[in-house]
Amino acid sequence: MTTLWDTTGTEVVAALSAERRAAGALAFGLALTLVVVVDERNVKAAEQAATTAAAAHPCRLLIVVRREVTAPEPRLDAEVSIGGRLGPGEAIIMRMYGRLALHAESVVLPLLAPDAPVITWWHGDPPERISYDPLGVFADRRVTDTLHAAAPLAALRQRAVDFAPGDTDIAWTRVTPWRTLLAAAFDSVTETPSAITITGDPADPSAALLAGWFTDRLGVEPSIVAGPTPGRLTSIALTLSGGDLTLTRQDSRTAVLSRPGQPDRALPLAESDLGDLLAEELRRLDDDATYGDALSAWSGLPDLNGRSPQREHIWRDPMAPAGAGAGAATAGTAG
Amino acid sequence: MTPSVNGNPLRDPRDRRLPRLPDACALVVFGVTGDLARKKLLPAVYDLANRGLLPPGFALLGFARRDWGHGDFADMARDAASKGARTPFREDVWERLAGSIRFVPGSFDDDAAFDRLVAELKSLEESHGIRGNAAFYLSIAPSAFPVVLKQMQRTGLASDAEAGGWRRVVVEKPFGHDTASARELNELVDDVFGPDSVFRIDHYLGKETVQNLLALRFANTLFEPVWNSHFVDSVQITMAEDVGIGTRAGFYDQTGAARDVLQNHLLQLLALTAMEEPVSFNAEAIRNEKLKVLRAISVPEDKKSFAIRGQYEQGWLAGQRVKGYLEEADIPADSRTETFAAVQLGIETRRWAGVPFYLRTGKRLPRRVTEIAVLFKQAPHLPFDATDTTELGHNQLVIRVQPDEGVTLKFGSKVPGSAMEVRDVAMDFLFGEAFTESLPEAYERLILDVLLGDATLFPNNAEVIESWRVIDPLEEYWAGTSPERYRAGEWGPAAADEMLGRTGRAWRRP
Repeated sequence: MTTLWDTTGTEVVAALSAERRAAGALAFGLALTLVVVVDERNVKAAEQAATTAAAAHPCRLLIVVRREVTAPEPRLDAEVSIGGRLGPGEAIIMRMYGRLALHAESVVLPLLAPDAPVITWWHGDPPERISYDPLGVFADRRVTDTLHAAAPLAALRQRAVDFAPGDTDIAWTRVTPWRTLLAAAFDSVTETPSAITITGDPADPSAALLAGWFTDRLGVEPSIVAGPTPGRLTSIALTLSGGDLTLTRQDSRTAVLSRPGQPDRALPLAESDLGDLLAEELRRLDDDATYGDALSAWSGLPDLNGRSPQREHIWRDPMAPAGAGAGAATAGTAG
Repeated sequence: MTPSVNGNPLRDPRDRRLPRLPDACALVVFGVTGDLARKKLLPAVYDLANRGLLPPGFALLGFARRDWGHGDFADMARDAASKGARTPFREDVWERLAGSIRFVPGSFDDDAAFDRLVAELKSLEESHGIRGNAAFYLSIAPSAFPVVLKQMQRTGLASDAEAGGWRRVVVEKPFGHDTASARELNELVDDVFGPDSVFRIDHYLGKETVQNLLALRFANTLFEPVWNSHFVDSVQITMAEDVGIGTRAGFYDQTGAARDVLQNHLLQLLALTAMEEPVSFNAEAIRNEKLKVLRAISVPEDKKSFAIRGQYEQGWLAGQRVKGYLEEADIPADSRTETFAAVQLGIETRRWAGVPFYLRTGKRLPRRVTEIAVLFKQAPHLPFDATDTTELGHNQLVIRVQPDEGVTLKFGSKVPGSAMEVRDVAMDFLFGEAFTESLPEAYERLILDVLLGDATLFPNNAEVIESWRVIDPLEEYWAGTSPERYRAGEWGPAAADEMLGRTGRAWRRP
């Protein structure tokens, strides 16, 4: 492991190749680069999740911590390690101070694995528009987590407004186990349910996306009712002619499926930790059209998947007075 | 409306997050107390459950001659699963699975036992909604097949129509011991279940790297253009084991390395390496192409030089003294069974004419390794001084099936320095030991495929027969000879090296 204080991007690149030589792993199978954008207070959680995910998918891990944009002098601290505490691959943690934080791409771009896909993950508040963050603009896949926003549903709506194919949200990943069981239970159902009830938290973006999915796939708009625990999805009921098909969470690992005319079954429904969720995101490097459709159905914004997957960077200075100069100036003018 | 799968609107072909789950069904294991069931089968079932890949109405049924109740079997299965599982053993996952475990005691000739089995499956229809779907895993000696199959026929267990769902049967190698016996066995099983419902397990085909061979060849532009006799000098397929015969003395002495490994694993690897591109990636298309290759295999005329058998003598392996084959327990002192076989085969097609395929397998070799090495011809003209390229060998593409699953490409590179010197270097792709911890085990994948009814990775009866057609003449020739000797811990007998040395080639050290 190499730790660099008050360094430059060039020195980080040099430290990485020195580490690679020392590790003897010059022909590393690098499938992708994972860029993690995170606040100082969330670094531990993000590191842990990224380490789990990197164990399942060989990747170069670049963690970018933006600090104190107001600091008078720009400064870069970096930690470079291979096969250390951050999993078996290559990992670089960079802390950026001052105006450098607004130009993080100048350090990150030369560190991307050559010609391999890039995934950018914001752990914490996603940017209002991904185009505002150059670390999202060059990514092939962009992963946000609206659950961590101050107002999750508003944030999810903003994701729909700002959507481009290749975007996904961890709130969607969280419902994969539910969707798996429901799809399996539905294999033997031939009718369209007359009503669907989701019991959970009406303010939970996962419940919202699940509702969007049902609306898109079955043409039935579910109602979301408040369950006993805020923020937790408790059960889903589909009203069929013969009775209700319900899937109810039992505990953190199991759910019970009841169907008309059949005995109840206990099924695995594990609450995945953040690392597993992230690993699921790394599994696919193309856009998730099913997510686009579900988000479209929930938000009412048509044809999200039809949008261009390309974004262009829009320069925005968080320190400039609101409204002034947004979109007018170009990147690189700030100092 | 957006596309759906099998009429289920919640399944979207673009939605790759949702795994394929089989229908509700029962997996019935005959010989559930055997080695294979304990070491591979039961752990694989647990791993599937732990990954959430088993359907809501899945039940596991054991059948064996033990005076057991459901609970005794569940305890034994728990023990096996906790020892052999790849994924972490979790009590709650097991509890859920244990609730769906049943045991039927009885011997194979006991009519009442099979009637109990039928009744048990009926009751699972009620409790698990399996709708007659069941897969029967015959983890038993082939000699027991006729009586078990006859029982199944008598009780209607094997009939899709009578069950009202699908009925499938899974059989393990050996698929007979020669063409005649294999044909007999095939007819018996196919007759009872119907050829489409028979799944023959060759666990090598469940390995990621073997499937990756198809991706490597048919998804890339780089390799296929040179995948023929214009560019390929020879192909070496090796499956080496460092272990001896273990506790399988009786079986092994009857069988030998050629029947045990060459006939199935090595010929399947050869077929996948040499086959033409299938018109699509479905079971029938792939099996057709494999069958064409197997049919085109030619056995050497001069078997004395090109079909070598060996038997290990005592020696040192991994720092330990090990016994010779003849000193192993329960092996007759005059046994002429081979523990090593190496053979040169040809493939009589336009693509492969003149390219020798060298296959070898053996026990008590220096290390456990399986690999396919494609050796390319040397460049027709080298614009260097002869002394510059003395260290340059054949370009090689090596598919490492196990361990360290991955691909190696060997080619010449300039040695840094003022002189022009070219030497072989290797470029490695590692499926990655560091990243494979959650890769599915071969049995997991294959059991799941059986339950899903996907026969792509299972050889069919025609392939088995064609493979025996290759082995039979070799066995016939070998019947009158004694195997060559090699010391345990060596890469086989000297005759195997001479076999390649005759044409100026040499075995690659895996």
